[in-house]
Amino acid sequence: MIIYVVIVLIVLTLWVISVYNFFVSSKTRIKASIQEIGNQLKRQADLIPNLESSVKGYLSHEKGIFDELTNARKAITSASKSGDVNKMADAGKMLSEVLPKIQVVVESNPELKGVEVVTNLMDELRDTSDKVMYARRLLIDLTADFNVKRVTFPSSLVANLFKISEEVGLKTSEKGEHLEVKDSETKAPKVSF
Amino acid sequence: MVNIYEAERANKIKSSIVVLGFVVFVAVTVYVLSQALGYYWGYQVGGFGFVGFALIISGLISYGSYYFSDQIVLGISGAKEANRKQYFDFYTVSENLAIGAGLPKPKLYVIEDSAPNAFATGRDPKHAVICATTGLLDKLTRTELEGVIAHEFSHVRNYDTRLQSLVAVMVGLIALLGDWLLRASWFGGRRSKDNDNQMGVIILVLGIVFAILSPIIAQLIQLAISRRREFMADAGSVSLTRQPQGLISALEKISKDQETLEAANKATAHLYIINPFKGKRVQGSVGWFSNLFNTHPPITERIKILKELA
Repeated sequence: MIIYVVIVLIVLTLWVISVYNFFVSSKTRIKASIQEIGNQLKRQADLIPNLESSVKGYLSHEKGIFDELTNARKAITSASKSGDVNKMADAGKMLSEVLPKIQVVVESNPELKGVEVVTNLMDELRDTSDKVMYARRLLIDLTADFNVKRVTFPSSLVANLFKISEEVGLKTSEKGEHLEVKDSETKAPKVSF
Repeated sequence: MVNIYEAERANKIKSSIVVLGFVVFVAVTVYVLSQALGYYWGYQVGGFGFVGFALIISGLISYGSYYFSDQIVLGISGAKEANRKQYFDFYTVSENLAIGAGLPKPKLYVIEDSAPNAFATGRDPKHAVICATTGLLDKLTRTELEGVIAHEFSHVRNYDTRLQSLVAVMVGLIALLGDWLLRASWFGGRRSKDNDNQMGVIILVLGIVFAILSPIIAQLIQLAISRRREFMADAGSVSLTRQPQGLISALEKISKDQETLEAANKATAHLYIINPFKGKRVQGSVGWFSNLFNTHPPITERIKILKELA
């Protein structure tokens, strides 16, 4: 009889240890994933000047694009220096907003289409913004896993026992303009050629 | 419209049920076969005898193919390593998905073959290999490629190579035991004194039936597990990229392509994103029964399920 009690106790202890370890190691992984966002932003900031100089000859008349690239780089550098997750997340978006503008330029100047450095510029820009997007995705997924485990039964018992606090991850405010759908946005966009 | 988290959870549960069913089947079969063998050879080898021996043989063979899975498959398929400059999309998409999945970047290989296909192998995420054909890289857009590579990443993340190897050990074990029993019954063997009783007869008959049928059944369950894991990898792909449309249009493109993959053989078929032998399938055999013998679920069904996620 006593042997069964002992076995049950051992199994229970092992389970508590494994759940506790999940929470602790997840916390470390979440921290690492925030650093990864910073890391990718730093890569972006280093990449932009290289790309700029390689296409300067072809896009010299498109000064607006270079201004935007420079602005994006400044924002990215300052965000990755600040270490603030939300600033970093916002800065990552700036570069992906430049990309469609370059596409417009290429579309209206057919002679640019075949030029390798220009396609290369667009490929690299798309890739680097994808990288930041995926770095953010990892942070979002890890925090979601962590928080779901924290509140669901039976792992919630362990979370309460060790007073494990909620992870915020990428903080998006749950009120505000970005969550509202405006009347104009519900209409299908008109595309004219 | 199905929520991706629910879809992933449902997949995990279904997959566990199939695997559990397989484990129960293996346990029952091994028990019956070893009992029958015991009657034939006139003594029961204490508990682990025949089974242990068969497990060691089958295990050694499969462990070798599992441990060196990355190198063996690449040797067979004649693949060469992909570099960033030549295969920019393949390389960078894999890099990005590795960031998103929080896994190390797998080794990337390219097979020179115009049939579009891809596979993943390797015993764990650290030794993972993802391989694509030049046909796939040429024909798909970056978004479609992202869906396919994310599917392969999900195989890596779900330890599918490991699972398939373990299943292969069990299938081999049953085949060996069944073979031994059939040989023993052929030569008559040294019968034990107490096998005149009814129990002995029943076990012998049951043993023969199991010896004939169980290797086939084991293989069918193995294929069912393989198909289940494909659905799971599809759902995993969507949860990584959040763009079901990419994988859907990639699957449509790949399945419309009529070329067959020359580098594939039966041993490596289950690894690919779609069945590499699709061109050889007899017309009209698309039904429930022919599906039983496939490593992959029908593309139309995969697309249907993916569209529910879109």
